[in-house]
Amino acid sequence: MSNIAKFLALDKVATFFNIIKQNGGIRGSLFKLYRQDELKDGTLVGEDKFGNKYFENPRYFYGRNRWVEYSDKFHMNYDGSQVPAEWYGWLHYKTDLPPHLDPNRPKYKWMKDWNENLSGTTGQYTPYSTTRPKIEAWEPKSKSTV
Amino acid sequence: MLRQPLTRALALSSSSRIAPLGVRRYAEALAQPEKVEVFIDDKPVYVPPGTTVLQAAAMVGVEIPRFCYHERLAVAGNCRMCLVEVEKSPKPVAACAMPVMKGMRVKTTSDLTKKAREGVMEFLLVNHPLDCPICDQGGECDLQDQSMAFGSDKSRFTDIHFSGKRAVEDKDVGPLIKTIMTRCIHCTRCIRFASEVAGVDDFGTTGRGTDMQVGTYVEKMFLSELSGNIIDLCPVGALTSKPYSFAARPWETRRIDSVDVLDPLGSNIVVATRTNEVLRILPRTNEEINEEWLSDKSRFACDGLKRQRLVTPMVADSRGNLTPVEWEDAIVAAAHAIRDCPPNKLVAIAGELADAESLVALKDLVNRLGGENVCTEQYFPMGGSGTDLRSSYLLNTKIANVEDADFVLLIGTNVRFEAPLLNARIRKAFIHKETDVAYIGPKVDLTYEYTHVGDSASIVKELATGSSNHEVLKRLQSAKRPVVILGADQLKTSEGSALLAFTQELALRLQDKLEDKEWKVLNVLQRTASQVAALDVGYKPGVGAILQDGPKVVYLLGADAGVVTRESLPKDCVVIYQGHHGDVGASIADVVLPGAAYTEKRGTYVNAEGRAQQTLPAVTPPGKAREDWKILRALSEVLGARLPYDTLDEVRHRMAEISPSLVAYGDVQNNNYFAQARVLAQSLQKPVSGKLDVQLKQLEDFFMTDAISRASPTMAKCVQAVLKQKQSPY
Amino acid sequence: MAGALARIVQGTKSHLGIAGPLVSITSGSVRFQQTESQGKTKYGPLADADRVFTNLYGRHDWRLKGALARGDWYMTKNILEKGTDWIVNELKTSGLRGRGGAGFPTGMKWSFMNKPSDGRPKYLVVNADEGEPGTCKDREIMRHDPHKLIEGCLIAGRAMGAQAAYIYIRGEFYNEASNLQVAIAEAYQAGLIGKNSCGSGYDFDVFVHRGAGAYICGEETALIESIEGKQGKPRLKPPFPADVGLFGCPTTVNNVETIAVSPTICRRGGKWFASFGRTRNSGTKLFNISGHVNTPCTVEEEMSIPLKELIERHAGGVCGGWDNLLAIIPGGSSTPLIPKHVCETVLMDFDGLVAAQTSLGTAAIIVMDKSTDIVKAIARLIMFYKHESCGQCTPCREGVSWMNKMIYRFVEGNASPKEIDMLWEISKQIEGHTICALGDGAAWPVQGLIRHFRPELERRMQTYAMTHGPSKAERLY
Repeated sequence: MSNIAKFLALDKVATFFNIIKQNGGIRGSLFKLYRQDELKDGTLVGEDKFGNKYFENPRYFYGRNRWVEYSDKFHMNYDGSQVPAEWYGWLHYKTDLPPHLDPNRPKYKWMKDWNENLSGTTGQYTPYSTTRPKIEAWEPKSKSTV
Repeated sequence: MLRQPLTRALALSSSSRIAPLGVRRYAEALAQPEKVEVFIDDKPVYVPPGTTVLQAAAMVGVEIPRFCYHERLAVAGNCRMCLVEVEKSPKPVAACAMPVMKGMRVKTTSDLTKKAREGVMEFLLVNHPLDCPICDQGGECDLQDQSMAFGSDKSRFTDIHFSGKRAVEDKDVGPLIKTIMTRCIHCTRCIRFASEVAGVDDFGTTGRGTDMQVGTYVEKMFLSELSGNIIDLCPVGALTSKPYSFAARPWETRRIDSVDVLDPLGSNIVVATRTNEVLRILPRTNEEINEEWLSDKSRFACDGLKRQRLVTPMVADSRGNLTPVEWEDAIVAAAHAIRDCPPNKLVAIAGELADAESLVALKDLVNRLGGENVCTEQYFPMGGSGTDLRSSYLLNTKIANVEDADFVLLIGTNVRFEAPLLNARIRKAFIHKETDVAYIGPKVDLTYEYTHVGDSASIVKELATGSSNHEVLKRLQSAKRPVVILGADQLKTSEGSALLAFTQELALRLQDKLEDKEWKVLNVLQRTASQVAALDVGYKPGVGAILQDGPKVVYLLGADAGVVTRESLPKDCVVIYQGHHGDVGASIADVVLPGAAYTEKRGTYVNAEGRAQQTLPAVTPPGKAREDWKILRALSEVLGARLPYDTLDEVRHRMAEISPSLVAYGDVQNNNYFAQARVLAQSLQKPVSGKLDVQLKQLEDFFMTDAISRASPTMAKCVQAVLKQKQSPY
Repeated sequence: MAGALARIVQGTKSHLGIAGPLVSITSGSVRFQQTESQGKTKYGPLADADRVFTNLYGRHDWRLKGALARGDWYMTKNILEKGTDWIVNELKTSGLRGRGGAGFPTGMKWSFMNKPSDGRPKYLVVNADEGEPGTCKDREIMRHDPHKLIEGCLIAGRAMGAQAAYIYIRGEFYNEASNLQVAIAEAYQAGLIGKNSCGSGYDFDVFVHRGAGAYICGEETALIESIEGKQGKPRLKPPFPADVGLFGCPTTVNNVETIAVSPTICRRGGKWFASFGRTRNSGTKLFNISGHVNTPCTVEEEMSIPLKELIERHAGGVCGGWDNLLAIIPGGSSTPLIPKHVCETVLMDFDGLVAAQTSLGTAAIIVMDKSTDIVKAIARLIMFYKHESCGQCTPCREGVSWMNKMIYRFVEGNASPKEIDMLWEISKQIEGHTICALGDGAAWPVQGLIRHFRPELERRMQTYAMTHGPSKAERLY
């Protein structure tokens, strides 16, 4: 039975409908396809505090079986640096334990929140210049405030 | 004093020795003796007797190497680099000092000549340090160049391994000149420049033989307004520029020919820049104006171009603090103020560094708005012909011709600091041509002897009416080429018009009697670079009366002389300042429009003679600053009174419409209508009684006179150094 | 310094002013025509009756009274009245050549001053800055016979129409200056000089100017600068002093001896003076003999006397006998030395010594016997020139001190034999390339040393190499 189904690629059809279903129907799937250029089905492993969702599906071959769907608040401006450090390890197969399931992960007060890479934006880091400006501009004397 | 029998006799035996090669009209007028034929490398050349071998060789394009010889200084003949073989003379002769003789055959490429040069070159290098890599002269060093061309290809200084080279302690001659005396080759150019041209006999040699040192006898500052020129004169790196030290190599710099605007003479300069930064300013030879000298202010104030600059438009906020804004906002703010103002309450005042283009644009703009109030900071009496006749406010004799004068009368002008290179000309005439100088005004040091007639203005009247019994009057009357120079500073007093009238009367009386009908006697020495162009364009000189009417908008075009103060203006008056430095003008302004300095724009300046010259952009204006005429053009657009020119050529076309002389670059026109000016001035000859005073009396007054030099740290150091030197017992 | 004045043809030309090229042809022939027939074949000893300086040793009164007794100031008025042309002519007949070292014909030099006047006064300057090592003739004249000099000034001044004479005396000559000043005062009081000198109607003043002891101030233009109150540094020539000299006026600079013999020439006639010595080297001359001789002395002798006879007769011979002689410097420190074999035959006059590749100079003979360290002796002379170089022009300032460094290494032998040629070349690079003749004067002793004592120099270097190993210079050069 299953062989016949396999022979007729019915399981593929089932997977297709399953993917569509999981991704929120036709509209939702078209939107995801537009945003992420791919549609996958998988189990939701966890969600970080920025709203990124992490999925896993061992049906896909190794290297593609873990992925992230960026939070909707990033719209189209998502990039890899938005993945926080704790999820990075799981996503890149450094560990199989997702952060929320790993009791050994240290949590300290001084740890800063994850910050995405701001290069190319107004928030980017610019080192201060150590050379003297060629032109020293005139600073008008501020008049005494009445 | 230099003026001693020896120099006199030297000048007697060969007139061309000290006089530069450039022959001018008056030198030509002297009867020339018959020329003699000499042969340089078998090329025949006819030269006047008394010409030196070196000069004769230069005429056929043969350059003889030299270190100590300089055309504008006396011949020293001590470097021996110019040795050449002369046929029938068994030993080589020094070409710089040897007068030609009929039929002389000079061989500049013979073995004897080459051997002599190589020998001298070797001797010069025996004690010269091999520090070319850290020497600022590297790349423009005569010793480097000539040792490449004429020196030996190998060294045989075995003795440096036994006893080393001579070392000499450095001297401290002030904040402008850095000395590394070990490099000195004792050419004595600096000594001769100091005593002949600068008139400061501070330099000399001490010691004998190998121990001879060039320096000031006691350690002191080189107190001269022309001191920077010894940097150019020094053929090696013994004297280099302190502000420019270790800044750049000559081959890295881009050199742009330009014109100086810090004094009224418009000296020709070369601006050396690298990476959009003015590094130094060097003189450019112009026989008509600055020869090859440059005053210290013009040369060293260039670091003022990088300080206190206006780099962004600014508008006063609600609390009166100037805050940076975009051009659009600033222009609109300015336009608002101007539009709200009745045309007769709009006053435009041009400062001392304004170029003719912006002067024309500003005047056109005000006129288009229906206003007439455009004026300059410097006053000039409007009585009589006023500024209608150009001859009344120009240096009519012309700078170069002052050299040919036989009597110079200076009235209320310290030429030494107001126009240093004009003073150098007078000194040159004084030394080489026996010119005598008389001076009316407070006693000052002009670097040469003069007859001090007094400091009372009434002396001018007495001289003009012929009622004076001072010997100067007789000398003036008997002079064949007298020159009378009146300082423009004297004209701002209430007696100014009378003083000008008397000076005109005196000068024209003298001029009428001269045999040489082309010679002009009357001269007025302006103080600033922009004044002549402004008067040519039709600006009213002086601001006094206009300000009293209570203007509503004052437009300052680089006006930093401090004639307009907040106190003299009504409370609600809006001050718009357009210029390049945050100085007096910007600090009282409500709207600041950043303009370009003279090294940053192509601008026309008319010098005190009436000679139009143009600056070329060497660097781009800093930040958001723009060329001045363009700012005015943009403002006119917003005001709805569009100026009809979009390119510089069109502006220049408009200038030519006003006065063709404004665009006749390099030329100076002869002035006439002296007689008419004299007739119109007759009624102004009222009694005068005041005392003449000059603004710049001492060297420390000279360095900081305008927005650029006031911003210059080097100039500030100079003032400090001069004041410190004055404390010293030497 | 006067001794170092140009002694070669081109140097002579420098005295001629604009007429230089014109004269050089004739003076060239003067120097080098040796074949000319000579009237005499034997020269010296000089008879006492023919001596010009009769109080050379100060045995008599040097003041006016004594001078008058010796015949000074005799008929001076007559000489003055005979006029310029006569005096110059008499000097020309006498064949007197400048005694300061350059040997320029004095009559001719004076005649250059008789160009039409342009209103400037003319001056006579007497060079009494006798600084050349070995020379001590002028001081004898000034301290023992000052009136001869003063009378000479008057006559020379008359011959060139000068208004005044300046005697520039070396600073170290204190007693000489004081004697001279006394003699001048006497001459003024006696009306011999000053207004209406000797009753001839000619006004003439004599001033003494004391130098400060710089050798270079014996160079005529440096001397003029020094009188003018400036640093004593030679001027460029042209213009020559005859054109532009002291205070910008035409000036003639003469040596003391030249001036001091001129009254006697005028009194006894140029022909008398010309009868001594070989043609064109005529006259009597003061010879100073110093060094390794038994009785060093200053003596007046006939020109062209053989050197050997001069030493044997007047100086009591060389210490240890003639065979103990090593070398002689025949004309003051600036002239090249000559070794013994040349000394045997050489005649002491201008042409004779030029033929021996040296020069008469001031006729100051420095005798060196075999005990002399000849290299060190010359090195010491170079040190003197290094010290006295004015520093104005490059070859002399840099070259002489370089030579000095090298030759002191030669004294030890700490040098490479190749450097001997280099030293020779350096001396040639100095010679003739300087403003004045000091550079030449410093170069010649070195050249003389290398010319005649090269084996000695090489021997020293070998000895040094044997004891110390090869010199560092060997590796470097």
